[in-house]
Amino acid sequence: VRLAPAAVLLPAILAFCVLPPVAWAQESTAPDVLISRQLAESEGLTVGTVIRLATDASGAHAREFRIAGIYEPTPDPARLGQVPRSVRLHLPDLLEMTRPVDVPAGAEYVSSVNVALTNPADAQQFASDVNARLPGVLALPAGEATGSAGPFRVLERFHLAIAIITIVAATVFLLALTIMLVDERRETVGVLRLIGLPVRRILTQILLEGLIVAGTGAVFGLVLAALSEQLINQFFQWRYDTALIFVRVTKDVALTCVMIAVPLGASATVVASWALLRRGGLRLARR
Amino acid sequence: MNALGFAWRSLVRQPARAALGVLGVAAVGALLFDMLLLSRGLIVSMQDLLDRGGWDVRVSAGDLPGSGLRLPHAIATAESIAQLPSVQGALIVRTASAQVDRASATPLHVSFQGVATRSTDPAGSRLRAPWTILRGRDAEGPNEIVVDERLASQTGTGPGGEIIVRATCVADLEALPATRLTIAGIAEFPFQTTSDSTVGGTLAALAAACGGNIGDEADLILVTSRGDADGTAASIRAEHPDVRAATNSEVVGRLQQTGFTYFQQISSVLTTVTVSFAVLLITVLLTVSVNQRLGEVAALRALGFSRMRVVKDVLCESALIVGTGGLLSLPLGWAMASGLDRILKGMPGIPAALHFFVFESRALVVHVALLVATAVIAALYPMRIVSRLPIAATLRDEVIG
Repeated sequence: VRLAPAAVLLPAILAFCVLPPVAWAQESTAPDVLISRQLAESEGLTVGTVIRLATDASGAHAREFRIAGIYEPTPDPARLGQVPRSVRLHLPDLLEMTRPVDVPAGAEYVSSVNVALTNPADAQQFASDVNARLPGVLALPAGEATGSAGPFRVLERFHLAIAIITIVAATVFLLALTIMLVDERRETVGVLRLIGLPVRRILTQILLEGLIVAGTGAVFGLVLAALSEQLINQFFQWRYDTALIFVRVTKDVALTCVMIAVPLGASATVVASWALLRRGGLRLARR
Repeated sequence: MNALGFAWRSLVRQPARAALGVLGVAAVGALLFDMLLLSRGLIVSMQDLLDRGGWDVRVSAGDLPGSGLRLPHAIATAESIAQLPSVQGALIVRTASAQVDRASATPLHVSFQGVATRSTDPAGSRLRAPWTILRGRDAEGPNEIVVDERLASQTGTGPGGEIIVRATCVADLEALPATRLTIAGIAEFPFQTTSDSTVGGTLAALAAACGGNIGDEADLILVTSRGDADGTAASIRAEHPDVRAATNSEVVGRLQQTGFTYFQQISSVLTTVTVSFAVLLITVLLTVSVNQRLGEVAALRALGFSRMRVVKDVLCESALIVGTGGLLSLPLGWAMASGLDRILKGMPGIPAALHFFVFESRALVVHVALLVATAVIAALYPMRIVSRLPIAATLRDEVIG
């Protein structure tokens, strides 16, 4: 559950002006901070280094902190393309540095408070209780905190629309190809009709062939997707310097693909064959 | 009959497969066209949005305007900037969250923009606020505001009407007294998102709404130069090293490196996939089609058609399928782009006037070039088949088979 606003002690993230390192841990009793891997790499900082942080770009009123650790920032798709040069401080240290002179200690604001419940299923009820008991505070289950029209739901809809367009284009091509392939086998079908095979029997055979071809194509597509998954992720993770996963072929995705591809392929074969099978055997076999 | 006419007859002889081929190219071409519109759409749209206001330099505390950081000593900074010889005028923009009370409904959450002009130039003094008046007039007094269409309709008011505003300029927990403000006009705010409402007025009106508790900070200072935006931005940076001054092009450049990257990447990936898909499928279509007509091609060669001529026939067939499909792909792609744009504009925080898919002549040129390349590459293999076709052996096989 996420509450906002309130004043509590929590680790906080803030962009600061990082000044050059001044000493090593053995000599310092400076408070601990964590820095992001990207910041450590760009500034050549290591664990144990004492750095000075200031809220002012000029470096005025800088305070010393000891780097207690380097962390990999939680991948945030909303910040794609932005290198997270972040420092994590304990909230009292942060407030000490950012509190305006006319604000007494303890009267500062924080933007949100994350609450871990004993039973996560109570999130909705807990949020309702907080909203009823604490006017001025907005509590939301974490799942709803981003809103119903979050950017990734929109992107999901966009990708779905692109997928539908691709499927439509592929279906049209597939129909054209199957019409040509079926036409190529016109004489064979004609002979089969002439030796006595009923239309239904030939259609079943064509359907089975279509299923086998579509199934093989779907499996090939999945193997290709699985092989390219890592390649795509590695490229984009390198490109954006993030641990974000861009492509993931899940069981559900694979199943959806097969459920679309196989019936579509088989149907295209049957539809393309149907017009051919309505003709007489002699006409089909005639050269 | 020339090669194009011959290819046309070959296609119309089998209308179903030709039509499906053309439709397939149209669908793939439409997707390709959309991806090309998407690749620079946001950049073009954002540049247009920034240029439309007439302000050519933006001064902010963060790397990008709207980063949330505020400029301290805003009035003194704006006055100092206005004194620069290359500056025509400067506009201080301060934004605050506000609630608009309603008699029988929940309050509306809005964004309140307060502006103040600083200029030593008579032309600069008349610089307009960063919104466009649709009805009524601009807000001038400390108790006047302009509101957007949505807010006017939600509150059931218009020019001359009044609304009660509670603005919070410093922190969200402030409990400020309600301020009654008069609506001078209805305005369009260029960076307003599709889900938010905006109120605009003078800095004095915002100060009044915030109970005077506004401080001397600004979110942004908009500057109009006397013509040299780059030089003006450099002068401001030299004069005020603690602030970030960027021309509209520089702002777009920074956005291009951060926020817009995703769409450029997805556009590149989908363009590559789409073109490969089109090449592969048209190659297969033409190859199967040529394989079915090998006897026919051999007969034409035997009748005196040159090797080059039959190759041209195949190339023209490819050009006709891709060309017709490509032509159809333009209106289809434009219609699809409108739908996809509507989907993407559902993202929170996207200005209503910003578009993801924007037409540019260079996108059309690239589209045509890619389709021409597709037609040629797709025809290469079938052209090779017909050019190497052994005439006598093919005719013999045809007769025996």
